Amino acid sequence: MVDRVNGAAAASRLDGLAVGATGRIADVMGSDGTSLRLLEMGLTPGATVRLVGRAPLGDPWELEVRGYRLSIRRAEAARVTLESR
Amino acid sequence: MSPMQDSRTGATHVTAVLLGNPNTGKSTLFSALAGIPTRIGNYPGVTVEEKVGRFVHAGITIDLVDLPGVYGFAAHSPDEAVAIDVLHGRMPGVATPDCVVVVVDATNPERNCYLASLALELGLPAVVALTLSDVAAAKGIDVDPSLLAERLGCPVVTVVAPTGVGIPALRDAIAAAARAAPPARPDLAAHLARVAVDRQPAEREAIARYAWVDQVLAGVIRRRPPAAVTIDERIDAVLTHRVWGTLVFAAVMLALFTSIFALAAPLMDLISAAMDTVAGAVEAVLPEGAIRSLLVDGVLAGVGGVIVFVPQIALLFLFVAVLEGCGYLARAAYLMDRLLVWAGLSGKSFIPLLSSFACAIPGIMAARTIEHRRDRLLTILVAPLMSCSARLPVYLLFCGAFVPDRAVGLSWIRLPAVVLVSMYGIGVATAAAVAWALSRTIFRGPPQPFVMELPGWRWPQPAVVLERVREAAGSFLKNAGTLIVAMSIVLWALGSYPKPVIPPDAAWTEADLRGEALRQSFLGRAGRAIEPAVRPLGWDWRIGCAAIASFPAREVVLGTLGVIYNLGDVDAGEQEGSTMLVRRLKAATWDGTARKVFTLPVALSIMVFYALCAQCMSTLVVIGRETGSRLWPLVTFSYMTALAWLAAFVVYQVGTRLGW
Repeated sequence: MVDRVNGAAAASRLDGLAVGATGRIADVMGSDGTSLRLLEMGLTPGATVRLVGRAPLGDPWELEVRGYRLSIRRAEAARVTLESR
Repeated sequence: MSPMQDSRTGATHVTAVLLGNPNTGKSTLFSALAGIPTRIGNYPGVTVEEKVGRFVHAGITIDLVDLPGVYGFAAHSPDEAVAIDVLHGRMPGVATPDCVVVVVDATNPERNCYLASLALELGLPAVVALTLSDVAAAKGIDVDPSLLAERLGCPVVTVVAPTGVGIPALRDAIAAAARAAPPARPDLAAHLARVAVDRQPAEREAIARYAWVDQVLAGVIRRRPPAAVTIDERIDAVLTHRVWGTLVFAAVMLALFTSIFALAAPLMDLISAAMDTVAGAVEAVLPEGAIRSLLVDGVLAGVGGVIVFVPQIALLFLFVAVLEGCGYLARAAYLMDRLLVWAGLSGKSFIPLLSSFACAIPGIMAARTIEHRRDRLLTILVAPLMSCSARLPVYLLFCGAFVPDRAVGLSWIRLPAVVLVSMYGIGVATAAAVAWALSRTIFRGPPQPFVMELPGWRWPQPAVVLERVREAAGSFLKNAGTLIVAMSIVLWALGSYPKPVIPPDAAWTEADLRGEALRQSFLGRAGRAIEPAVRPLGWDWRIGCAAIASFPAREVVLGTLGVIYNLGDVDAGEQEGSTMLVRRLKAATWDGTARKVFTLPVALSIMVFYALCAQCMSTLVVIGRETGSRLWPLVTFSYMTALAWLAAFVVYQVGTRLGW
């Protein structure tokens, strides 16, 4: 388990994922409306997420999670930590 | 009324609520169950749409309340807050529900069952409508409805709403459920125990609820690995591609706008011609006088001015509904997000702004889906700067009559077309600048988060598309129609009364008399009063009159110009329609001189003014309602009028200096 505040290295965060790569969510950092919305949309610990692509101007990103497509910005992706393999 | 009382008293009237995620085919299901809604309106105090349909099944009258599509009960947006209030029976004017119908999209079972699990917490009898199983099967997802029903503890009915398959069974289930006991609440205790304790209760619950959903769905859904890359994937790869996606987006927008103009133009001509025929018939029947003048110049001009926009609004909403139904609009919002963020807006502002090109009213209402108040407010404030269909006739008239019809440079592009497109460009550029400035001053703050579903690609449902078009055209006719017609009558009265006092010995021509009549009327006095303010724009007092008269609705400006220059000028010929208007305008001179009123700089200054001004009472009323404050309509009106005046001033002065 990754430490919730400090231990998440950039490489194990969702915003460090390469296009086409897949990861398992460890945690969603922060505690506000956004983290709740991300959890409600299914980005919960243990869920598998794939980075499908990025918008032409680099942001937002397109993810595949729980069998559907979700778009979030890089800033939101940076809140999601991934389990280290 | 609780279900227990229902069964005791044998009540034959139940209220069912239709709950579901956005993009789950909920609207199609509503139409299939209840047909055309019996009641469409707004919930009291908020502007979230209330849609109620009624059907009778097995001797029971069922009122079906459609809720806005929601992802959860955390009340992130006004839509979600309304859904929660209705479900808990806290919404005034809506009966406490007897039963909840949860739409579960089989292509996306996990996130949909998350909402179903929340619905089971309500303590209401529940029915699950499993939609899009056919699409899911094609994608390699099989859902076992009977096992799902067993796990959830409530009936699950598989429906294919567009073809009506499963609808009778769903009606049976709703009628039976309203008298049944509510299902057991989901037991999250074991899952909650496994979630880290250092989180907010709502977040812990969300994590535990998904764990519960995963447990419920284990064995219920089977995913067959897709043989190759799915069609969805391939379409997506092209449409969100760096190069192809951008090109397709540009092509779609270009096609959308050109086809609106190309397809609407003949219909608009047809309506104008029909109105002229009616006016001609009235003129033939009625003797000349106040009543004929009121009917022709007031009522008919007003009605014609309104219905002439219906083809454009209907067409734009047809395109918007089709693009939305197939899932493209969400991709467009995704593609445009970065640009809109730079301007201080959000990708979610895209749909409201696009709709505003037809009419700002539905555009402003579409901003409801934006969760964050700042983004929503900014979108609402700049939406009226998009050139709506009411501006187009103004552009067309002045571009056609006063912009020289010559090629630009060596190209085949004509100058009037360039000016027309520039008017749209000025609106967009100003909106970007205003949003940019406001988001860095009054609305300064950290960028708001962006979390948006990209729905799967599907064929748009004709019933849903037509419903959207009918609704948009209907509400435009109702909102704008009543106001514009009333204003046209008031305007006619203000331009005709008080009757002029003419010196008995004056040897005046007919034209002089009519000019003097307008000059002495209330409208003429007001126009002359503001003349110092419009003089720097190159306008005479009669254009000032038209500007005042078109304050409630800018689309009346053409009618007004017609009335004013007809009342006050020489008879310019026998041609009908806008040709006559153009002749009258071209013949108009400054009072007592031979100097023409309408020159190229004046025409440009009028067009720019109308591109940026807030001359639309309905829009201001809707802004007041949507923001729940009287401040924002005032702010919108002030900043837009100031910008419009300034831009018209610059255009006229620069144009004159350059000798256009």
